[in-house]
Amino acid sequence: MATRNRTLVFRKYRDALKSVRAPTSSYASPSTSSGGGPVIELVSTSLLNPNRNYAPLSTEDPGNSSRGALTVGLPPAWVDLSEEIAANVQRARVKMAELTKAHAKALMPSFGDGKEDQRLIESLTQEITNLIRKSEKTLQRLSAAGPFEDSNVRKNVQRSLATDLQTLSMDLRKKQSTYLRRLRQQTEGQDGDDLEMNLNGSTSRMDGDDLDDMVVQSVNELAQIMKDLAVLVIDQGTIVDRIDYNIQNVASTVDEGLKQLQKEKVRGRGNDSLGNECPGICIELKIHVLHGEGRFVFAKGSMLILPIFICRDFVLSFPRTRV
Amino acid sequence: MVLVSAVRDYLSRMLQDISGMKVLILDSHTVSTVSVAYSQSELLQKEVFLVELVDSISKSRESMSHLKAVYFLAPTSENIQYLRRHLVAPRFGEYHLFFSNILKDTQIHILADSDEHEVVQQLQEFYADFVATDPYHFTLNVPSNHMYMLPAVVDHSNLQCFCDRVVDGIAAVFLALKRRPVIRYQRTSDIAKRIAQETAKLMYQQESGLFDFRRTEISPLLLVIDRRDDPVTPLLNQWTYQAMVHELIGIQDNKVDLQNIGKFPKDQQEVVLSSEQDAFFKKNMYENFGDIGMNIKQLVDEFQQISKSNQNIQTIEDMAKFVDNYPEYRKMHGNVSKHVALVTEMSKLVEERKLMVVSQTEQELACNGGQVAAFEAVTNLLNNESVSDIDRLRLVMLYALRYEKESPVQLMQLFNKLSSKSRKYKPGLVQFLLKQAGVDKRTGDLFGNRDFLNIARNMARGLKGVENVYTQHQPLLFQTMESISKGRLRDVDYPFVGNHFQQGRPQDVVIFIVGGTTYEESRCVALQNAMNTGIRFILGGSVILNSKRFLKDLEEAQRLALRTEGKTYPINLEAKIYSSSHPPSDKNRREEPIFLLTKPDIRRS
Repeated sequence: MATRNRTLVFRKYRDALKSVRAPTSSYASPSTSSGGGPVIELVSTSLLNPNRNYAPLSTEDPGNSSRGALTVGLPPAWVDLSEEIAANVQRARVKMAELTKAHAKALMPSFGDGKEDQRLIESLTQEITNLIRKSEKTLQRLSAAGPFEDSNVRKNVQRSLATDLQTLSMDLRKKQSTYLRRLRQQTEGQDGDDLEMNLNGSTSRMDGDDLDDMVVQSVNELAQIMKDLAVLVIDQGTIVDRIDYNIQNVASTVDEGLKQLQKEKVRGRGNDSLGNECPGICIELKIHVLHGEGRFVFAKGSMLILPIFICRDFVLSFPRTRV
Repeated sequence: MVLVSAVRDYLSRMLQDISGMKVLILDSHTVSTVSVAYSQSELLQKEVFLVELVDSISKSRESMSHLKAVYFLAPTSENIQYLRRHLVAPRFGEYHLFFSNILKDTQIHILADSDEHEVVQQLQEFYADFVATDPYHFTLNVPSNHMYMLPAVVDHSNLQCFCDRVVDGIAAVFLALKRRPVIRYQRTSDIAKRIAQETAKLMYQQESGLFDFRRTEISPLLLVIDRRDDPVTPLLNQWTYQAMVHELIGIQDNKVDLQNIGKFPKDQQEVVLSSEQDAFFKKNMYENFGDIGMNIKQLVDEFQQISKSNQNIQTIEDMAKFVDNYPEYRKMHGNVSKHVALVTEMSKLVEERKLMVVSQTEQELACNGGQVAAFEAVTNLLNNESVSDIDRLRLVMLYALRYEKESPVQLMQLFNKLSSKSRKYKPGLVQFLLKQAGVDKRTGDLFGNRDFLNIARNMARGLKGVENVYTQHQPLLFQTMESISKGRLRDVDYPFVGNHFQQGRPQDVVIFIVGGTTYEESRCVALQNAMNTGIRFILGGSVILNSKRFLKDLEEAQRLALRTEGKTYPINLEAKIYSSSHPPSDKNRREEPIFLLTKPDIRRS
């Protein structure tokens, strides 16, 4: 696709006009651009860039120094929070890579006591989960009130980080489930062979209940996180994902999201004390997740039937393409 | 596909080299361009955390110098003024300016003059000046579209604006494709000729350097035609999914606004219908209504199956599976309810307006049938109380377009009946349509009754029987595309601009309809491209029409034309003139002042 760069022409005109313009008008400018905050020459406040550099800006015309210097103000305080979350996400990703390796190692048949591998896996998983949970809590602190436009930026930053966190959680869950499934296969495969059971340490020590507990725990955590993030994460392809829609409806959703999160926090207190009974967990978790989502998913399922009856009668009378 | 990806590439290039938190500033044109091609979540991935309109931004005083501003605007004088104000008092750390079309030198001067603080880092032209709604379909969303129907004498400067906008839009399409075409236009249309010639001047003389691309063996073809050559297609009621939604409810930039239609939950008041993002829509957008109903029912059944199994959580595995699949489930739920809502709404409208009956007559008028039967059918429907005013008007217009010359007495009767039945009808509108797009003005063989070959083809079709009486109409565009494919587009009807010439068949063809395209035509183009004949067609227009929009343009044009003449709407003028019995074959009678404008032919002036 064709483009045309007019920057050179622009700069030429700008320089020519600068020399024509009276020099005294230039010194009035610095105060207007910084909006009152401390001014630092900062190149980039890149949120997701782990290697931030504070290299000073190169001023492009050596002539009038005070006017030429690009002054970028300090970002507001909440940017630190978002950067912290971004750093956590990055760290979690690194640990996920380590976890994958640890999983693979643990699944390989070995002669030693597999407890080390187990411990490593458990600790890694725990660390990642903690990182995610901590990030998620910090994420909620981002949605405080503030000046109008700043709150839009904040909301969008929140959404972006929420999407990252959700993908991370789902990744973790997927890795765990594959690992546990393979582990279970290995365990079952070895039940009939007593000799090998004593030799192959780690894999045979895991029995059904422990595996189930781990599954329950991971599912529980994932559900918790998804419920909390559901309000913020954008569903691709829906109206909320449209740029023009977002231009019209910016600030209102920030407050709504915050209210919903608070509501769910109150209702969700009972979740942490689930018993160990499998069916009990299932039911409670299921209800909790659905209510947390704020939509009556199953009720809607039945509501869908009614309109389809209405249009079905009509539609059946419409001539269709003969196959 | 190629146009959507061109817009996406432009946007990615704009954003990728700028690091850090960004704010994207658009205007009312570019927001449509960007919204159909790029999603909010993709912007967030590129660290664009704020999107604003250039005119609203001036109200705020907040300085956010930790953000870098990326402006993507159309090069209008209004936008330049806004930019001036922003540059004089900059709120952001850096300014990167991108324009969707060619800038004038004076505009660059103005900007350079205002950039006292030297915050502008770059100034580039990225030619995404069109709205790519579908893979092979684009529109320009021109605001005062009705201008194309009026001669230059009525409103010279607005017509010039219209032409400029269209020429710039077409130029942008070719710059995005990096090709320079050979240009042909419809001979009988002055505005098509004007646009073709001005486009040629831009591409070959004024900015020949910019358009000087690597030449391929065969140049692509740009064909500029006039909406009035096929006034039937926008008047017909539609029965394929995308076209039907636009006809009954209305689609704007791939969004459907359901707020005024009925009571919907908050997240369903506006929905997105985009073939890029919705697989079900992509499969069904060109299917007829009966098939869609079946497919939606199937979709709902599948969904209910999944819901039921979700209710049945017994083991831990089930629970795990539910939680894992929850995002997918949620997305599917949203999609299913969207399609069900649309189809339900359309079924309701069809039922209320008795569109099955009306549309059958419309299709008969458009495709075949005799004059006597047609007259009877139209009269009956005009007498039917449940038929709405707009449907009555459309029926009379279709009848008039087809049987303009046969039996003018009966035509008169229909006009009178229409005036008496429809309170809101502006008298003379049908006659205005005939003046604009009557049989004498049209080039193409709209009803298949001029060309011997077409008559034969129609007879064969009638004998074979038609699969679906509601979708038997084929737009004139189909014939045009066929002629191009066979290399048989007549020079007499569609001459080349200047000394352009094309040897052989082109491989890329852009057809631009001045006055607007319809979704029925874009479907025709998509199906033609799917046949892989070796020629790729792209369709574009000044707007995307449905019958309401087309009639609005007609009314607006008529109002302006009358105003210039210093006349008001005639009241039953028709009845006075045709009170005596004149033989219908007396051709001179047709030139009587029943037609309001006594000046020479508008389109030939």
